[in-house]
Amino acid sequence: MRGEGTRLYWRIQRRRNEGLGALFLVLALFATIYAILFPGILSVGAMAKFVQGWFPTAMVAAAETIVMLTGGIDLSVGPMVSLGSVVAASTMQGPLGISGGVLAVLALGAVVGAIVGWFVAVNRYPAIIVTLALSFVLRGVALLILPRPGGFVPPSLSDFLAGSRPTAAVLLVLLVILWKLYQATPLGTGLIAAGDNAEGAYRSGVGVTIARMCAYLASGVLQALTGLYVAAQTGSGDPIIGEPMTLAAIAAAVLGGVGFLGGRGAMRGALAGSLLMSILINVMFFMDLPLVAQYVVQGLIIVGTVALPLIRASWRRGL
Amino acid sequence: MVVQQAVLGARNLSKAFFGNPVLRDVSIDLVPGRIHALLGENGAGKSTLINLLSGALAPDSGQILVDGQPVAALSPREAHRLGVAVVQQELSLAPHLSIAENIGLGAYDRRGGLIDYGGLAVAAKEIGGELGLVESPDTPVGRLPLGRRQIVEIAKALFIKPRVLIFDEPTSSLAAPDVVMLMGLVRRLRDQGVAILYISHRLNEIIDFCDYVTVLKDGAITADRPMAGLDPNGLVRLMVGRDPQNLFPPYASHATEDLVLETRNFRTAAAHGVDFELRRGEILGIGGLVGHGQEDFMTGLYGAVAADADQFRVLADGGAARTTPFANVAEANAMGVAYVPADRRKEGLLLPHSIDFNLLLPLFARHGAQHRRRADESAITERLAQRLNIRGDRSRPVQALSGGNQQKVAVSKWLPLEPSVLLLNDPTRGVDVETKREIYIALRAMAAEGKAVVLLTTDTPELVHLCDRVIVFHKGWVAAALAHAEASEEAIVAAAMGVRAAPTLQGAPH
Repeated sequence: MRGEGTRLYWRIQRRRNEGLGALFLVLALFATIYAILFPGILSVGAMAKFVQGWFPTAMVAAAETIVMLTGGIDLSVGPMVSLGSVVAASTMQGPLGISGGVLAVLALGAVVGAIVGWFVAVNRYPAIIVTLALSFVLRGVALLILPRPGGFVPPSLSDFLAGSRPTAAVLLVLLVILWKLYQATPLGTGLIAAGDNAEGAYRSGVGVTIARMCAYLASGVLQALTGLYVAAQTGSGDPIIGEPMTLAAIAAAVLGGVGFLGGRGAMRGALAGSLLMSILINVMFFMDLPLVAQYVVQGLIIVGTVALPLIRASWRRGL
Repeated sequence: MVVQQAVLGARNLSKAFFGNPVLRDVSIDLVPGRIHALLGENGAGKSTLINLLSGALAPDSGQILVDGQPVAALSPREAHRLGVAVVQQELSLAPHLSIAENIGLGAYDRRGGLIDYGGLAVAAKEIGGELGLVESPDTPVGRLPLGRRQIVEIAKALFIKPRVLIFDEPTSSLAAPDVVMLMGLVRRLRDQGVAILYISHRLNEIIDFCDYVTVLKDGAITADRPMAGLDPNGLVRLMVGRDPQNLFPPYASHATEDLVLETRNFRTAAAHGVDFELRRGEILGIGGLVGHGQEDFMTGLYGAVAADADQFRVLADGGAARTTPFANVAEANAMGVAYVPADRRKEGLLLPHSIDFNLLLPLFARHGAQHRRRADESAITERLAQRLNIRGDRSRPVQALSGGNQQKVAVSKWLPLEPSVLLLNDPTRGVDVETKREIYIALRAMAAEGKAVVLLTTDTPELVHLCDRVIVFHKGWVAAALAHAEASEEAIVAAAMGVRAAPTLQGAPH
């Protein structure tokens, strides 16, 4: 009986790859191009560096995905990352040192997540408006605490998280395991049901409010931790460093097949999407493309990958 | 016979939406080992009653009893725990989750905090076997056709091993063999002592199948008795028996012989083979249960959904025979056909804009890029407001008006275009009695002016008392075409339910 359950679980997981074939293919293609152009990437050290570059995008993509699966959206990801980095860099000098900073960042994520959840999950405010408004608040608070880059991150922490060791890769694996476990709980499945058919889920006895609340909490904590990581990478807090991450997170999620209406998509897609974007940026950087051209290419590839299934569907309808 | 205690009951439930009473003082008892039918027309309050019994809505007053004990604040989760399961008509499934995950949704067994997939696999196999659910349990529900999803919905209800099982029109999307299977299953469950509440519009099905019946009409109970001794016509009488309360203006026909619109073999996705003639000055009623093709037919006539026909003639077009219906709404409007949608809040009006602006909207399309002439405009809106008795400041946003007055705006905005055909989709839905009367009088007046009025309605008395002719849809076909004298409520409801094949029925499969 146990074996049967395990088999069912993995069969269900395999079915969730449906629709991600095109993305995985494009990803494999660009990864191969990258490895051919820059064979040096295949060493352990270079790989660790690459993962460190990818890690913040992966984290915010995951944070955005959790919220989008419930049918919501988060437009305050970037400012939240900035604020996370600012809080980390300005609390680690305190008496509690690194652990004090980590605690402060965790508390920040949980509190902001709870506030968004209170508005969106409990009181049914539109997520897009709540998080848009919140993005201004968080941006302001970050600038109030630290008007210009500064603060202090102990070099030992920077070295541990963003040095030559593959810590980021281990953390990503941990993230995936935790997410898989969460998805296998009734609450985790309820999160998808709430996004898929909120009324039906409610009538089935799913705690729709709690599932959404937990999603915003988890998302907030992930975003704040991303800020901590970015601070460790740069060695200081920066009140605007997260700005591009809001759109990067949404782009990665959309690229990964996560739908705006909720229920559709999977974390693996969003992570693959963020990885593809990371590889693209690296390839274009090494090819010395001007920054502006990089934006254009990124945008085109996002639109293209998202449009691909739609174009195929309309071919099938014979149009 | 010993009457067993009701496992789930309701005492004097009342519920109103936005001041509109939907249920009035309703009591019902669901007894173990009995199949209990709940009957009523569209809008009689059946769905509201189910939602109250299953905790999805809270009553305004009255009590819900489980095993004779009142329950305070029933929620769906609590109802589940007490063993009340509902097979929803609007399915409660999550399309992106697998069959197995949907079957257990909201009631998963846990193993170390995680979902017990082993138990889920066993349950899916067991229940699925009983229901003929052959699809692999890992299939996402969104991949299944509607009828198969319905089976998953039933499996989901069985998963919690319910003591009370409520079916809300379970057979409306099922294939015939599945209906037989379902009935066998429901009988087995009854024999095991489950209390069953069964809602269906298929009267023949209900009579063979149910032991007891409760009939709702306009939110109140008109019958609560054993099924024995009732026949389909008796049930229909129980569902429609009411007095018209002088709601309607005295009947007077203004129908002429001049055709304004004629189609042969008109068809859309949901309506088939409709032969249709419309004459100047007549009010033609369209009846049928919701979702039997009549809405599709009307929007198809208006060019709003794809439609096709062997012949399609419009008088305004010089009576020229054309084969294709209107390609789009603009063409329909240009040919003098106007449409008042059922969902006035979404489709009929721009709620945040003023009454005046809404009244002028169809004219804007005609005037194109010309400058607006305020003086002319206010003369037009003044006249319209007088005609339909729209009182008060017309610069107020439309959303400030009551439902009835909103509807008057949605109807009268078409009049400046002088339409020759007015298509109305359920114009009195959610409208108070007094405004209903005003709308009836206005429709009659338009017919007297020589317009042709097509009235699609879920309110059967309107068809009886207002219309010169009535056509009734059943499963996408015109099941009956009745002249005013033949169009009794019994005849209309019977045709809508397919109780007997009317003689005018041609080419429809049965």
